[in-house]
Amino acid sequence: MADREEVKAQILELLTKSKKPALYLKDMQKKVDAKPREIKNAANELVRDQKVMFWSSGSSTMYALPERAKDEDKIGV
Amino acid sequence: MPKHDTPLLDQLESGPWPSFVKDLKRQAEKNPACWDILGQMEVSYEDKITHWKHGGIVGVFGYGGGIVGRYSDMPKRFPGVAHFHTVRVNQPSSKFYNTKVLRQIMDIWERRGSGMTNMHGSTGDLVLLGTFTEELEEIFYELTHDVGVDLGGSGGNLRTPSCCLGQARCEWSCYDTAEACHNITMTYQDELHRPAFPYKFKTKFSGCPNDCVAAIARSDFSVIGTWRDDIRIDQAAVKGYVNGEFPANGGAHAGGDWGPFNIKKEVIDLCPTNCMWMEGDELKIDNAECTRCMHCLNVMPRALRPGLDQGASILIGAKAPILDGAQLSTLIVPFIKMDAENEFEEYKEIIEKCWDWWMEEGKNRERIGESMQRIGLPTFLKIMEIDPIPQHVKEPRSNPYVFWKEEEVEGGFERDLAEFRKRHPM
Repeated sequence: MADREEVKAQILELLTKSKKPALYLKDMQKKVDAKPREIKNAANELVRDQKVMFWSSGSSTMYALPERAKDEDKIGV
Repeated sequence: MPKHDTPLLDQLESGPWPSFVKDLKRQAEKNPACWDILGQMEVSYEDKITHWKHGGIVGVFGYGGGIVGRYSDMPKRFPGVAHFHTVRVNQPSSKFYNTKVLRQIMDIWERRGSGMTNMHGSTGDLVLLGTFTEELEEIFYELTHDVGVDLGGSGGNLRTPSCCLGQARCEWSCYDTAEACHNITMTYQDELHRPAFPYKFKTKFSGCPNDCVAAIARSDFSVIGTWRDDIRIDQAAVKGYVNGEFPANGGAHAGGDWGPFNIKKEVIDLCPTNCMWMEGDELKIDNAECTRCMHCLNVMPRALRPGLDQGASILIGAKAPILDGAQLSTLIVPFIKMDAENEFEEYKEIIEKCWDWWMEEGKNRERIGESMQRIGLPTFLKIMEIDPIPQHVKEPRSNPYVFWKEEEVEGGFERDLAEFRKRHPM
């Protein structure tokens, strides 16, 4: 099981390389080696560090890198 | 002076019901941006499609919920609603506002938003409709620092918990719903403000089975007050109702010509489990058969009251989707104590177990009730470490079978067929 910094690095790598500009937590759970709550806490720390942004449809929420989050037409639910 | 012609919307004002069109026109006199709401809606009525774009990166710093992004797809034509974000404000428990707070919120909203509200959203929040991205942080600061209220939930979060009036106003409430709602809201701030789940998750607290917040229909995790001893009966008051000294239903429906109160017709014969009868002029109840429908208590509140061993039932899995139709919560835990003194420990143990499982196993945009249906109730009960009881079985033979394992059955599955045939010949 990876530590917090390792989880954050895996999330950032995933968000950078992913075809989709924004990902659900569930998408991250398939690729990141950590428990769901640990992934959520790490992702939220990245938001606090301003390295990641939320994208919300109102009913569900995705995570994206700031530069990719602006590509809103490609984000959808 | 109207900025746009709206003949289709204008028709809505001609009906017998209060019209939001009238409200919008009135608000537009103060805030001209509201003319653009009407203008865009008129175009949507003509085109038969929405011209709103939902979602976005809008929000306040560090929060993954509370703001719902919305944009016009015709911003040049309707600049007043180029952005039209919704702000959800966490309502106080039981919605006990004072007028000062409401005035403060409306002052902020008239200054920084459209002035249009939805009081309240179906989850319970105050819903402030329509503002621009650049106003969001300012609104959040003023709401939290000047008024002392917080944003509610949206997205894949715990949604704003809500509750009925509870023991503050209601003699039937079997626990302090306002205290429970406040405690849970404060305990799970992280789940409320930061997305954690595959989809939305709602919890609601009703003090008794009348379920005034419709927890059973509208919340993934419904907490409905109940009791596990006997209904308290005041036989003198029963006689009072029979003799017409007290109005039935607390005087509700009194305008009709119903004739004198008839306890057999209006109470006993309407009991869904036939667990009531009269012996002479005394009312008797077979409490083991009572399903807590509340009808008798509602009709004769002076004579009948909930028992004293009070707590709540936990039901899980309601949702109200537009396409599939409503699904009610399923009873999972028949009784827990809802004690403020121990910080609602039993509730927290169950909800956290649900979340731990659902975060692992729930699919994207799958409500917990759908996850439960997918795996089946017997499996869900095993995950929750709850022994099946008859109340979990909705209909024998169709829903759901409880399968026994050999080690759970006394004597196992081995049997002496010859011995069996002696007792049951072919």
